[in-house]
Amino acid sequence: MPIKYVCSIIAFFSVVNLTAQETKTAVTSKEARITDEITLSDQDIEVFKEQTRQKVSEFQQYIVTLGNKEEPAEKRNMAEKEAIKLFYKGAEMEISTVLPDGTVKKLNRPMEKYLARLKALPYTRVVIRFYDIAYIREFTKGPDGKYYSTATIIQEFTGFNEDNIIYKDVTTKDIEIIIDIVEDTFFNEKRWKIFLGDIKASETKTVTT
Amino acid sequence: MTSSPGIKSIFPVFTILLSVIIHSLPCTAQYVGTSADERMFLLRTKQFNEFLDRFNYKTNFHGEPVDSAFEAQISRERMINFLFDLSDPRFDPSGDDYSAEYVDEIKAFVEDVIQHDRKIFKYSDKILAEARSRVIYKGSPVNISVFMTQEIVDRTKVKWVIKSVSGEVFNFLLTDTMYIRFIPPSSNETDFMNLKRALEDVNYLQYYADKDYEPDYLTLFFYMINSGQMKFEYVEEIIYHITDIPGWYIKVKNFNRGDMNSGWLISDLERFSSGKPGQ
Repeated sequence: MPIKYVCSIIAFFSVVNLTAQETKTAVTSKEARITDEITLSDQDIEVFKEQTRQKVSEFQQYIVTLGNKEEPAEKRNMAEKEAIKLFYKGAEMEISTVLPDGTVKKLNRPMEKYLARLKALPYTRVVIRFYDIAYIREFTKGPDGKYYSTATIIQEFTGFNEDNIIYKDVTTKDIEIIIDIVEDTFFNEKRWKIFLGDIKASETKTVTT
Repeated sequence: MTSSPGIKSIFPVFTILLSVIIHSLPCTAQYVGTSADERMFLLRTKQFNEFLDRFNYKTNFHGEPVDSAFEAQISRERMINFLFDLSDPRFDPSGDDYSAEYVDEIKAFVEDVIQHDRKIFKYSDKILAEARSRVIYKGSPVNISVFMTQEIVDRTKVKWVIKSVSGEVFNFLLTDTMYIRFIPPSSNETDFMNLKRALEDVNYLQYYADKDYEPDYLTLFFYMINSGQMKFEYVEEIIYHITDIPGWYIKVKNFNRGDMNSGWLISDLERFSSGKPGQ
Protein backbone atom coordinates (compact mmCIF):
# COMPACT_ATOMS: atom_id res chain seq x y z
CA MET A 1 0.00 0.00 0.00
CA PRO A 2 1.58 3.37 -0.96
CA ILE A 3 2.75 5.37 2.08
CA LYS A 4 0.80 8.48 1.06
CA TYR A 5 -2.38 6.42 0.86
CA VAL A 6 -1.85 4.87 4.28
CA CYS A 7 -1.09 8.32 5.69
CA SER A 8 -4.34 9.76 4.37
CA ILE A 9 -6.33 6.89 5.89
CA ILE A 10 -4.47 7.28 9.17
CA ALA A 11 -5.02 11.04 9.15
CA PHE A 12 -8.70 10.53 8.57
CA PHE A 13 -9.15 8.00 11.35
CA SER A 14 -7.06 10.01 13.79
CA VAL A 15 -9.77 12.67 13.44
CA VAL A 16 -12.81 10.43 13.57
CA ASN A 17 -11.50 8.47 16.51
CA LEU A 18 -11.26 11.49 18.77
CA THR A 19 -14.70 10.58 20.07
CA ALA A 20 -13.96 6.89 20.39
CA GLN A 21 -13.20 7.14 24.10
CA GLU A 22 -16.83 6.56 25.12
CA THR A 23 -17.60 3.11 26.44
CA LYS A 24 -18.90 0.72 23.80
CA THR A 25 -22.04 -0.02 25.86
CA ALA A 26 -23.02 3.65 25.99
CA VAL A 27 -22.38 3.98 22.31
CA THR A 28 -24.37 0.86 21.52
CA SER A 29 -27.58 2.05 23.22
CA LYS A 30 -27.22 5.43 21.51
CA GLU A 31 -26.63 3.70 18.19
CA ALA A 32 -29.68 1.47 18.66
CA ARG A 33 -31.84 4.54 19.29
CA ILE A 34 -30.47 6.30 16.20
CA THR A 35 -31.01 3.17 14.10
CA ASP A 36 -34.64 2.97 15.30
CA GLU A 37 -35.23 6.60 14.47
CA ILE A 38 -33.59 6.48 11.06
CA THR A 39 -35.19 3.30 9.80
CA LEU A 40 -38.87 2.42 9.63
CA SER A 41 -40.67 0.20 12.11
CA ASP A 42 -40.59 -3.57 11.54
CA GLN A 43 -44.22 -3.50 10.48
CA ASP A 44 -43.65 -0.67 7.96
CA ILE A 45 -40.53 -2.42 6.67
CA GLU A 46 -42.46 -5.61 5.96
CA VAL A 47 -45.17 -3.71 4.07
CA PHE A 48 -42.65 -1.73 2.02
CA LYS A 49 -40.45 -4.78 1.42
CA GLU A 50 -43.43 -6.71 0.09
CA GLN A 51 -44.40 -3.79 -2.14
CA THR A 52 -40.80 -3.52 -3.32
CA ARG A 53 -40.75 -7.23 -4.16
CA GLN A 54 -43.93 -6.76 -6.19
CA LYS A 55 -42.49 -3.72 -7.97
CA VAL A 56 -39.22 -5.50 -8.77
CA SER A 57 -41.12 -8.58 -9.89
CA GLU A 58 -43.28 -6.38 -12.17
CA PHE A 59 -40.10 -4.92 -13.68
CA GLN A 60 -38.64 -8.39 -14.20
CA GLN A 61 -41.84 -9.51 -15.95
CA TYR A 62 -41.68 -6.51 -18.31
CA ILE A 63 -38.02 -7.26 -19.08
CA VAL A 64 -38.86 -10.88 -19.91
CA THR A 65 -41.73 -9.77 -22.17
CA LEU A 66 -39.88 -7.06 -24.05
CA GLY A 67 -36.86 -9.29 -24.56
CA ASN A 68 -38.95 -12.17 -25.87
CA LYS A 69 -38.99 -11.95 -29.67
CA GLU A 70 -41.78 -14.50 -29.88
CA GLU A 71 -44.20 -12.07 -28.25
CA PRO A 72 -46.24 -9.75 -30.51
CA ALA A 73 -44.63 -6.35 -31.12
CA GLU A 74 -47.63 -4.60 -29.57
CA LYS A 75 -47.25 -6.49 -26.30
CA ARG A 76 -43.51 -5.81 -26.20
CA ASN A 77 -44.03 -2.09 -26.84
CA MET A 78 -46.60 -2.01 -24.05
CA ALA A 79 -44.16 -3.76 -21.69
CA GLU A 80 -41.53 -1.13 -22.53
CA LYS A 81 -43.94 1.72 -21.76
CA GLU A 82 -45.16 0.17 -18.53
CA ALA A 83 -41.60 -0.60 -17.39
CA ILE A 84 -40.60 3.06 -17.78
CA LYS A 85 -43.52 4.09 -15.55
CA LEU A 86 -41.98 2.15 -12.67
CA PHE A 87 -38.94 4.44 -12.61
CA TYR A 88 -38.19 7.75 -11.05
CA LYS A 89 -37.62 10.42 -13.68
CA GLY A 90 -34.01 10.50 -14.85
CA ALA A 91 -33.14 6.97 -13.73
CA GLU A 92 -30.13 5.48 -15.49
CA MET A 93 -28.69 2.06 -16.09
CA GLU A 94 -24.95 1.66 -15.47
CA ILE A 95 -23.38 -1.32 -17.16
CA SER A 96 -19.89 -2.37 -16.17
CA THR A 97 -17.73 -4.62 -18.28
CA VAL A 98 -14.45 -6.17 -17.24
CA LEU A 99 -11.93 -5.69 -20.05
CA PRO A 100 -9.33 -8.36 -20.92
CA ASP A 101 -6.64 -6.33 -19.10
CA GLY A 102 -8.70 -6.50 -15.89
CA THR A 103 -9.83 -2.87 -15.94
CA VAL A 104 -13.50 -2.07 -15.63
CA LYS A 105 -15.34 0.03 -18.18
CA LYS A 106 -18.64 1.61 -17.23
CA LEU A 107 -21.34 3.00 -19.43
CA ASN A 108 -24.43 4.92 -18.32
CA ARG A 109 -27.63 5.01 -20.34
CA PRO A 110 -31.00 6.60 -19.62
CA MET A 111 -33.45 3.83 -18.69
CA GLU A 112 -35.57 4.54 -21.79
CA LYS A 113 -32.57 3.91 -24.05
CA TYR A 114 -31.56 0.77 -22.17
CA LEU A 115 -35.05 -0.73 -22.55
CA ALA A 116 -35.23 0.24 -26.24
CA ARG A 117 -31.88 -1.46 -26.88
CA LEU A 118 -32.95 -4.57 -25.01
CA LYS A 119 -35.95 -4.83 -27.31
CA ALA A 120 -33.76 -4.56 -30.40
CA LEU A 121 -30.99 -7.05 -29.57
CA PRO A 122 -29.58 -8.88 -32.63
CA TYR A 123 -30.60 -12.39 -31.59
CA THR A 124 -33.35 -14.49 -33.14
CA ARG A 125 -34.45 -15.55 -29.66
CA VAL A 126 -33.73 -14.20 -26.21
CA VAL A 127 -34.44 -15.94 -22.90
CA ILE A 128 -34.23 -13.87 -19.74
CA ARG A 129 -34.63 -15.61 -16.41
CA PHE A 130 -34.41 -14.18 -12.92
CA TYR A 131 -33.21 -16.18 -9.93
CA ASP A 132 -35.58 -16.47 -7.01
CA ILE A 133 -33.21 -14.46 -4.86
CA ALA A 134 -33.79 -10.83 -4.11
CA TYR A 135 -32.00 -9.04 -1.32
CA ILE A 136 -33.63 -5.82 -0.18
CA ARG A 137 -31.82 -3.67 2.35
CA GLU A 138 -33.78 -1.76 4.97
CA PHE A 139 -35.25 1.63 4.16
CA THR A 140 -33.35 4.69 5.36
CA LYS A 141 -34.72 8.21 5.36
CA GLY A 142 -32.82 10.78 3.30
CA PRO A 143 -32.58 14.52 4.05
CA ASP A 144 -35.46 15.08 1.56
CA GLY A 145 -37.84 12.94 3.65
CA LYS A 146 -38.00 10.12 1.10
CA TYR A 147 -36.99 6.60 2.05
CA TYR A 148 -34.19 4.85 0.19
CA SER A 149 -33.24 1.21 -0.21
CA THR A 150 -31.51 -1.07 -2.71
CA ALA A 151 -32.78 -4.37 -4.10
CA THR A 152 -30.34 -6.84 -5.62
CA ILE A 153 -31.56 -9.30 -8.23
CA ILE A 154 -29.76 -11.83 -10.42
CA GLN A 155 -30.55 -12.09 -14.13
CA GLU A 156 -29.58 -14.91 -16.48
CA PHE A 157 -29.58 -13.82 -20.13
CA THR A 158 -29.35 -16.21 -23.08
CA GLY A 159 -29.20 -15.03 -26.71
CA PHE A 160 -29.92 -17.57 -29.46
CA ASN A 161 -29.29 -17.59 -33.17
CA GLU A 162 -31.89 -20.12 -34.35
CA ASP A 163 -31.34 -22.93 -31.84
CA ASN A 164 -27.75 -22.12 -30.98
CA ILE A 165 -26.79 -20.21 -27.87
CA ILE A 166 -24.45 -17.46 -29.01
CA TYR A 167 -24.30 -15.44 -25.82
CA LYS A 168 -25.08 -16.15 -22.19
CA ASP A 169 -24.37 -14.16 -19.08
CA VAL A 170 -25.39 -13.84 -15.46
CA THR A 171 -25.73 -10.28 -14.24
CA THR A 172 -26.23 -8.82 -10.81
CA LYS A 173 -28.53 -5.81 -10.79
CA ASP A 174 -28.56 -3.44 -7.85
CA ILE A 175 -31.73 -1.37 -8.10
CA GLU A 176 -32.20 1.83 -6.14
CA ILE A 177 -35.62 1.95 -4.46
CA ILE A 178 -37.23 5.27 -3.56
CA ILE A 179 -40.38 5.68 -1.50
CA ASP A 180 -41.90 9.08 -2.13
CA ILE A 181 -45.13 10.79 -1.18
CA VAL A 182 -47.35 11.36 -4.20
CA GLU A 183 -50.57 13.27 -4.39
CA ASP A 184 -53.58 11.34 -5.61
CA THR A 185 -55.72 14.08 -7.15
CA PHE A 186 -58.66 11.74 -7.69
CA PHE A 187 -59.00 10.83 -4.01
CA ASN A 188 -57.45 14.16 -2.90
CA GLU A 189 -54.98 12.43 -0.61
CA LYS A 190 -51.26 11.90 -0.24
CA ARG A 191 -49.79 8.42 -0.11
CA TRP A 192 -46.41 6.69 -0.24
CA LYS A 193 -45.43 5.27 -3.61
CA ILE A 194 -42.50 3.03 -4.50
CA PHE A 195 -40.35 3.93 -7.49
CA LEU A 196 -37.34 2.24 -9.00
CA GLY A 197 -34.25 4.43 -9.44
CA ASP A 198 -30.79 3.95 -10.92
CA ILE A 199 -29.66 0.41 -11.68
CA LYS A 200 -26.09 -0.81 -11.47
CA ALA A 201 -25.54 -3.92 -13.54
CA SER A 202 -22.39 -5.97 -13.11
CA GLU A 203 -21.60 -9.00 -15.14
CA THR A 204 -20.74 -12.00 -13.01
CA LYS A 205 -20.38 -14.80 -15.50
CA THR A 206 -20.16 -14.76 -19.28
CA VAL A 207 -20.39 -17.71 -21.65
CA THR A 208 -19.85 -16.81 -25.28
CA THR A 209 -19.96 -19.56 -27.88
CA MET B 1 5.75 -18.14 15.85
CA THR B 2 3.09 -20.72 16.62
CA SER B 3 -0.06 -20.57 14.58
CA SER B 4 -3.61 -21.78 14.63
CA PRO B 5 -4.45 -24.57 12.15
CA GLY B 6 -4.51 -23.14 8.61
CA ILE B 7 -7.83 -21.37 8.15
CA LYS B 8 -7.72 -22.21 4.47
CA SER B 9 -7.85 -25.90 5.24
CA ILE B 10 -11.03 -25.41 7.24
CA PHE B 11 -12.91 -23.34 4.72
CA PRO B 12 -13.56 -25.78 1.85
CA VAL B 13 -15.26 -28.02 4.42
CA PHE B 14 -17.16 -25.05 5.74
CA THR B 15 -18.30 -24.09 2.26
CA ILE B 16 -19.63 -27.61 1.64
CA LEU B 17 -21.33 -27.54 5.02
CA LEU B 18 -22.96 -24.23 4.16
CA SER B 19 -24.15 -25.62 0.88
CA VAL B 20 -25.76 -28.57 2.69
CA ILE B 21 -27.38 -26.23 5.18
CA ILE B 22 -28.71 -23.96 2.47
CA HIS B 23 -30.20 -27.05 0.81
CA SER B 24 -31.82 -28.19 4.03
CA LEU B 25 -33.36 -24.80 4.84
CA PRO B 26 -37.10 -24.80 4.28
CA CYS B 27 -37.90 -23.43 0.85
CA THR B 28 -40.35 -20.60 0.82
CA ALA B 29 -42.10 -19.57 -2.36
CA GLN B 30 -39.49 -16.86 -2.80
CA TYR B 31 -36.57 -19.27 -2.90
CA VAL B 32 -37.85 -22.09 -5.06
CA GLY B 33 -34.86 -22.16 -7.41
CA THR B 34 -31.96 -24.29 -6.22
CA SER B 35 -29.48 -24.38 -9.10
CA ALA B 36 -25.79 -24.20 -8.22
CA ASP B 37 -25.68 -20.59 -9.39
CA GLU B 38 -28.67 -19.69 -7.27
CA ARG B 39 -27.12 -21.25 -4.18
CA MET B 40 -23.95 -19.34 -4.91
CA PHE B 41 -25.80 -16.05 -5.11
CA LEU B 42 -27.66 -16.82 -1.92
CA LEU B 43 -24.37 -17.18 -0.05
CA ARG B 44 -22.74 -14.23 -1.81
CA THR B 45 -22.67 -11.05 0.28
CA LYS B 46 -24.56 -9.07 -2.33
CA GLN B 47 -24.63 -5.66 -0.65
CA PHE B 48 -22.40 -3.92 1.88
CA ASN B 49 -25.50 -3.64 4.06
CA GLU B 50 -25.83 -7.42 3.91
CA PHE B 51 -22.18 -7.69 4.96
CA LEU B 52 -22.93 -5.58 8.05
CA ASP B 53 -26.06 -7.57 8.89
CA ARG B 54 -24.17 -10.86 8.57
CA PHE B 55 -21.22 -9.52 10.56
CA ASN B 56 -23.59 -8.30 13.29
CA TYR B 57 -25.35 -11.70 13.17
CA LYS B 58 -28.60 -9.89 12.50
CA THR B 59 -29.71 -11.77 9.39
CA ASN B 60 -29.17 -15.24 7.91
CA PHE B 61 -28.29 -16.06 4.30
CA HIS B 62 -31.88 -15.40 3.22
CA GLY B 63 -31.78 -11.92 4.79
CA GLU B 64 -34.18 -13.06 7.52
CA PRO B 65 -33.53 -12.45 11.24
CA VAL B 66 -31.13 -14.92 12.85
CA ASP B 67 -33.15 -17.31 15.02
CA SER B 68 -32.24 -20.16 17.34
CA ALA B 69 -32.53 -22.73 14.52
CA PHE B 70 -29.96 -20.82 12.46
CA GLU B 71 -27.73 -20.25 15.50
CA ALA B 72 -27.66 -24.01 16.05
CA GLN B 73 -26.42 -24.54 12.49
CA ILE B 74 -24.07 -21.59 11.95
CA SER B 75 -22.43 -19.85 14.89
CA ARG B 76 -21.48 -16.16 14.71
CA GLU B 77 -17.83 -17.22 14.69
CA ARG B 78 -18.39 -19.26 11.51
CA MET B 79 -20.44 -16.51 9.98
CA ILE B 80 -17.63 -13.97 10.51
CA ASN B 81 -14.97 -16.39 9.25
CA PHE B 82 -16.95 -16.77 6.05
CA LEU B 83 -16.89 -12.97 5.60
CA PHE B 84 -13.15 -13.05 4.91
CA ASP B 85 -11.79 -13.34 1.37
CA LEU B 86 -10.82 -17.01 1.54
CA SER B 87 -8.88 -16.81 -1.71
CA ASP B 88 -6.33 -14.56 -0.01
CA PRO B 89 -2.96 -16.27 -0.57
CA ARG B 90 -2.09 -15.50 3.05
CA PHE B 91 -4.46 -18.37 4.01
CA ASP B 92 -2.84 -21.00 1.82
CA PRO B 93 -0.33 -22.98 3.94
CA SER B 94 1.24 -24.47 0.81
CA GLY B 95 1.88 -21.12 -0.86
CA ASP B 96 4.79 -18.69 -0.56
CA ASP B 97 2.52 -15.91 0.66
CA TYR B 98 1.09 -17.89 3.57
CA SER B 99 1.07 -15.76 6.72
CA ALA B 100 0.68 -17.50 10.06
CA GLU B 101 0.69 -14.04 11.60
CA TYR B 102 -2.36 -12.94 9.57
CA VAL B 103 -4.21 -16.17 10.38
CA ASP B 104 -3.52 -15.60 14.09
CA GLU B 105 -4.67 -11.97 13.85
CA ILE B 106 -7.96 -13.11 12.37
CA LYS B 107 -8.39 -15.69 15.10
CA ALA B 108 -7.76 -13.02 17.76
CA PHE B 109 -10.13 -10.60 16.01
CA VAL B 110 -12.98 -13.12 15.82
CA GLU B 111 -12.45 -14.07 19.47
CA ASP B 112 -12.57 -10.40 20.46
CA VAL B 113 -15.76 -9.78 18.48
CA ILE B 114 -17.52 -12.86 19.89
CA GLN B 115 -16.34 -12.36 23.47
CA HIS B 116 -17.43 -8.71 23.63
CA ASP B 117 -20.38 -9.11 21.24
CA ARG B 118 -18.97 -6.31 19.10
CA LYS B 119 -21.07 -4.94 16.27
CA ILE B 120 -20.46 -2.46 13.50
CA PHE B 121 -22.85 0.47 13.75
CA LYS B 122 -24.46 0.87 10.34
CA TYR B 123 -24.34 4.67 10.32
CA SER B 124 -20.96 4.98 12.02
CA ASP B 125 -18.65 7.82 11.04
CA LYS B 126 -15.93 5.18 11.38
CA ILE B 127 -17.06 3.62 8.13
CA LEU B 128 -15.11 5.36 5.39
CA ALA B 129 -16.08 4.55 1.80
CA GLU B 130 -13.29 5.07 -0.68
CA ALA B 131 -14.69 5.51 -4.19
CA ARG B 132 -11.80 4.80 -6.56
CA SER B 133 -12.86 6.88 -9.51
CA ARG B 134 -11.92 7.78 -13.03
CA VAL B 135 -11.80 11.43 -14.02
CA ILE B 136 -10.71 13.19 -17.17
CA TYR B 137 -8.07 15.85 -16.48
CA LYS B 138 -6.71 17.91 -19.35
CA GLY B 139 -8.13 15.38 -21.79
CA SER B 140 -6.54 12.30 -20.22
CA PRO B 141 -8.06 9.68 -17.89
CA VAL B 142 -6.73 9.88 -14.35
CA ASN B 143 -7.56 7.88 -11.21
CA ILE B 144 -8.47 9.56 -7.93
CA SER B 145 -10.03 8.42 -4.66
CA VAL B 146 -13.06 10.16 -3.20
CA PHE B 147 -13.49 9.40 0.53
CA MET B 148 -17.04 9.46 1.84
CA THR B 149 -18.77 9.06 5.19
CA GLN B 150 -22.36 8.97 6.38
CA GLU B 151 -23.78 12.03 8.08
CA ILE B 152 -26.87 11.92 10.26
CA VAL B 153 -29.18 14.87 9.67
CA ASP B 154 -31.78 15.98 12.25
CA ARG B 155 -31.32 12.67 14.11
CA THR B 156 -33.52 10.75 11.67
CA LYS B 157 -32.08 11.18 8.22
CA VAL B 158 -28.86 9.98 6.62
CA LYS B 159 -26.74 11.07 3.72
CA TRP B 160 -23.29 10.29 2.36
CA VAL B 161 -20.89 13.23 2.28
CA ILE B 162 -17.52 13.78 0.63
CA LYS B 163 -14.85 13.92 3.30
CA SER B 164 -11.70 14.23 1.22
CA VAL B 165 -10.03 13.31 -2.05
CA SER B 166 -6.61 11.98 -2.97
CA GLY B 167 -4.68 11.26 -6.12
CA GLU B 168 -1.45 12.04 -7.88
CA VAL B 169 -3.22 14.67 -9.97
CA PHE B 170 -3.51 16.88 -6.87
CA ASN B 171 0.22 16.66 -6.10
CA PHE B 172 1.21 19.11 -8.82
CA LEU B 173 3.83 20.94 -6.75
CA LEU B 174 7.38 19.61 -6.79
CA THR B 175 9.96 19.13 -4.07
CA ASP B 176 13.31 20.86 -4.29
CA THR B 177 16.12 20.47 -1.79
CA MET B 178 18.72 22.42 -3.80
CA TYR B 179 17.52 25.98 -3.41
CA ILE B 180 16.12 27.86 -0.47
CA ARG B 181 12.98 29.60 -1.61
CA PHE B 182 11.56 32.44 0.43
CA ILE B 183 10.35 36.02 0.39
CA PRO B 184 13.08 38.12 2.02
CA PRO B 185 12.52 39.87 5.41
CA SER B 186 12.65 43.42 4.04
CA SER B 187 10.27 42.81 1.15
CA ASN B 188 7.49 44.71 2.87
CA GLU B 189 9.46 47.94 2.40
CA THR B 190 9.37 47.49 -1.36
CA ASP B 191 5.67 46.69 -1.31
CA PHE B 192 6.46 43.00 -1.88
CA MET B 193 7.68 43.65 -5.41
CA ASN B 194 9.20 40.14 -5.41
CA LEU B 195 5.83 38.51 -4.77
CA LYS B 196 5.37 38.45 -8.54
CA ARG B 197 8.69 36.61 -8.92
CA ALA B 198 7.74 34.13 -6.20
CA LEU B 199 4.41 33.36 -7.80
CA GLU B 200 6.05 32.81 -11.14
CA ASP B 201 7.97 29.96 -9.53
CA VAL B 202 4.87 27.86 -10.33
CA ASN B 203 6.16 24.40 -9.44
CA TYR B 204 7.37 25.28 -5.96
CA LEU B 205 4.70 27.61 -4.59
CA GLN B 206 4.37 25.70 -1.31
CA TYR B 207 7.79 26.98 -0.18
CA TYR B 208 6.35 30.51 -0.02
CA ALA B 209 3.50 29.45 2.27
CA ASP B 210 3.61 29.35 6.07
CA LYS B 211 5.05 26.39 7.95
CA ASP B 212 1.60 24.99 8.82
CA TYR B 213 0.37 25.07 5.24
CA GLU B 214 -1.48 21.93 4.22
CA PRO B 215 -3.10 21.69 0.81
CA ASP B 216 -6.87 21.29 0.85
CA TYR B 217 -7.38 18.80 -1.98
CA LEU B 218 -11.16 18.77 -1.62
CA THR B 219 -11.42 22.49 -2.39
CA LEU B 220 -8.98 22.00 -5.23
CA PHE B 221 -11.11 19.12 -6.55
CA PHE B 222 -14.29 21.22 -6.38
CA TYR B 223 -12.51 24.06 -8.18
CA MET B 224 -11.22 21.76 -10.92
CA ILE B 225 -14.71 20.31 -11.43
CA ASN B 226 -16.33 23.74 -11.27
CA SER B 227 -13.92 25.31 -13.75
CA GLY B 228 -14.27 22.40 -16.19
CA GLN B 229 -10.60 21.38 -15.88
CA MET B 230 -11.68 18.02 -14.49
CA LYS B 231 -14.66 15.92 -15.52
CA PHE B 232 -15.92 13.10 -13.34
CA GLU B 233 -16.41 9.87 -15.32
CA TYR B 234 -17.42 7.04 -12.95
CA VAL B 235 -16.61 5.13 -9.80
CA GLU B 236 -14.52 2.08 -10.63
CA GLU B 237 -14.42 0.39 -7.25
CA ILE B 238 -15.51 0.92 -3.66
CA ILE B 239 -13.36 0.01 -0.69
CA TYR B 240 -14.68 0.39 2.86
CA HIS B 241 -12.26 1.24 5.65
CA ILE B 242 -13.86 0.41 8.99
CA THR B 243 -12.53 1.26 12.46
CA ASP B 244 -15.78 0.86 14.34
CA ILE B 245 -14.51 -2.23 16.21
CA PRO B 246 -12.14 -0.84 18.88
CA GLY B 247 -8.51 -1.73 18.19
CA TRP B 248 -9.12 -3.09 14.69
CA TYR B 249 -9.03 -1.75 11.16
CA ILE B 250 -11.06 -3.75 8.63
CA LYS B 251 -10.90 -3.31 4.88
CA VAL B 252 -13.90 -4.56 2.89
CA LYS B 253 -14.17 -4.82 -0.88
CA ASN B 254 -16.30 -6.51 -3.48
CA PHE B 255 -15.06 -9.80 -4.96
CA ASN B 256 -17.07 -10.38 -8.11
CA ARG B 257 -16.38 -14.05 -8.85
CA GLY B 258 -18.33 -17.25 -9.38
CA ASP B 259 -17.72 -18.59 -5.92
CA MET B 260 -19.78 -19.05 -2.74
CA ASN B 261 -17.19 -16.93 -0.94
CA SER B 262 -17.81 -13.78 -2.99
CA GLY B 263 -19.33 -10.33 -2.88
CA TRP B 264 -18.46 -7.90 -0.05
CA LEU B 265 -15.71 -9.53 2.00
CA ILE B 266 -12.92 -8.55 4.36
CA SER B 267 -9.78 -8.20 2.26
CA ASP B 268 -7.52 -7.04 5.05
CA LEU B 269 -7.43 -6.78 8.81
CA GLU B 270 -5.00 -4.83 10.96
CA ARG B 271 -4.62 -4.28 14.64
CA PHE B 272 -4.19 -0.66 15.64
CA SER B 273 -3.82 1.28 18.84
CA SER B 274 -4.20 4.96 19.79
CA GLY B 275 -7.08 5.20 17.35
CA LYS B 276 -4.83 4.94 14.31
CA PRO B 277 -4.70 2.01 11.89
CA GLY B 278 -1.39 0.71 10.71
CA GLN B 279 0.46 1.52 13.94
